[in-house]
Amino acid sequence: MKKVGKYTLTVAVLAFLLHRGLYFENLEDIRQQRRREAFNAAEYARDFWDNQLPGVLDKAVGTKELIGLFNTDMAQAIERYGKTPGVSRVYAYLLKGEGTILAIGENGLEVSVEEPQTNPDVLIETGFYIPGNAVRDASGLIDVSKFSDTMKFNEIGGEINKIVVKDVIKPFLDKGPSTGRTVRFFGATQIARDAAEEKELQLVRIVPIKLELE
Amino acid sequence: MARRLFVVAVVTLALSASGCKQKKQESAGGQEARSKGNIAVIVSTLNNPWFVVLADTAKTRAGELGYEATIFDSQNDTAKESDHFENVIVGGYAAILFNPTDADGSIANVKKAKEAGIPTFCIDREVNANDVAAAQILSDNYAGCVELGQYFVKKMSQKGKYVELLGILGDNNTWNRSKGFHSVVDNYPGLKMVAQQGAEFDRTKAMDVLESILQANPDIDAVFCGNDAMAMGAYQALAAAGKADKVMVFGFDGAKDVIDSIRDGKIVATGMQFPKRMARMAAEQADEYIKGKRDFPQKIPVAVELVTRENIAKYTAYGRQSNE
Repeated sequence: MKKVGKYTLTVAVLAFLLHRGLYFENLEDIRQQRRREAFNAAEYARDFWDNQLPGVLDKAVGTKELIGLFNTDMAQAIERYGKTPGVSRVYAYLLKGEGTILAIGENGLEVSVEEPQTNPDVLIETGFYIPGNAVRDASGLIDVSKFSDTMKFNEIGGEINKIVVKDVIKPFLDKGPSTGRTVRFFGATQIARDAAEEKELQLVRIVPIKLELE
Repeated sequence: MARRLFVVAVVTLALSASGCKQKKQESAGGQEARSKGNIAVIVSTLNNPWFVVLADTAKTRAGELGYEATIFDSQNDTAKESDHFENVIVGGYAAILFNPTDADGSIANVKKAKEAGIPTFCIDREVNANDVAAAQILSDNYAGCVELGQYFVKKMSQKGKYVELLGILGDNNTWNRSKGFHSVVDNYPGLKMVAQQGAEFDRTKAMDVLESILQANPDIDAVFCGNDAMAMGAYQALAAAGKADKVMVFGFDGAKDVIDSIRDGKIVATGMQFPKRMARMAAEQADEYIKGKRDFPQKIPVAVELVTRENIAKYTAYGRQSNE
């Protein structure tokens, strides 16, 4: 009887220890968690925005010149100003300009940069989120080959877009832009090689980096 | 000791024999005398037409460049992949064109090849390292799915219930696609994901998984699939349930059956990857490496393009009509 009690107690202690000490986790969750712990995309993006991006804004091309090149000599536009992190028909450009706000919509400001200022040439994105990697790629500052996995590179693009919304779009909208006013901007755009035939050039979409009302 | 040596010798002979047999079965024939060397094409699976195109194109391009190319099928099994690398290293191949099974699990294989002096060129899928492969030519899955996500939002008019079918959980492409898609779609509170499940990039598994999801969620409006094989499986499940006309299916790859299905109005959209372009680039880079070039960019993203019913005329299976 004593023996039975001893065995029961031993089994109970072992079961308790196993229950407390042994657990299962998804291997992929652990891998992803380790990768996330080792790399902070938000910090990387903030450093990029505050310390690296301002240094290349002086290379931004005038919007009128760029749109002119898109319509007349796309190959020249790509060669002189276009950037892509890999192999693509789409190139990213840093650009600057000023123009008259003709309309303010849910997705952005329709702005005319050309005379006569009756038709919009560009859409400056001022929506509640920014998709894509226009700023990351147009800067030419971030090399995908430096990262062990491309997810980090992609996360940086997403974090930069969050900064655009928080630091550029929201403060600008708080100033109450209205039609007829002049806006000065630095920004980034992504244009396909065959944009002219796709009619993408009717309204060039720009992700803003700096926005000022005159 | 003598017995152990004997066993090792027998195993080595058996491996060599099976390697020779495989080479004979799959290598580009008739070029042995003129061959500049052997190139191995190690592919994650041949149980998916997209990867068959990837492997065949790599082999053909390597053949055109004067190499004897052999395809090895890892059957989505890292242990098999590891065996292939062992055989390729022992076989003295000049280069490896490699589609990995696991972004982390495959690193050791590439490293082993590098230590043996054999360069590896990753195609489509990456390994999570930037110092073991000679170069990695990768589909830009994230950006492709951002574009697909934007189109999804538009087609759904910003509201509705949907299901996401994920691919292989250990593959970075699975997560790059999913995260690119969600980086857009999650901004719209009217879009509710009612289920997210893995189906391993497999058509049959996708059909089974969606069939069971439909039991609990019969009122979904769309299914986003991490590849085209799963999109076809999802479409089959919906057709069997009589819902094919009501539920929109989105894929990713640019495989033949999905391109045909978009043209026929069955599948709504896919992301066109360019397996032929990537495979050719990898074979050409391997040739350049063998000739002495070393300064390749480590990771080369290849853009993915959105294919819809509106622009389907520009596309064919696995690429553009213009043969880009």
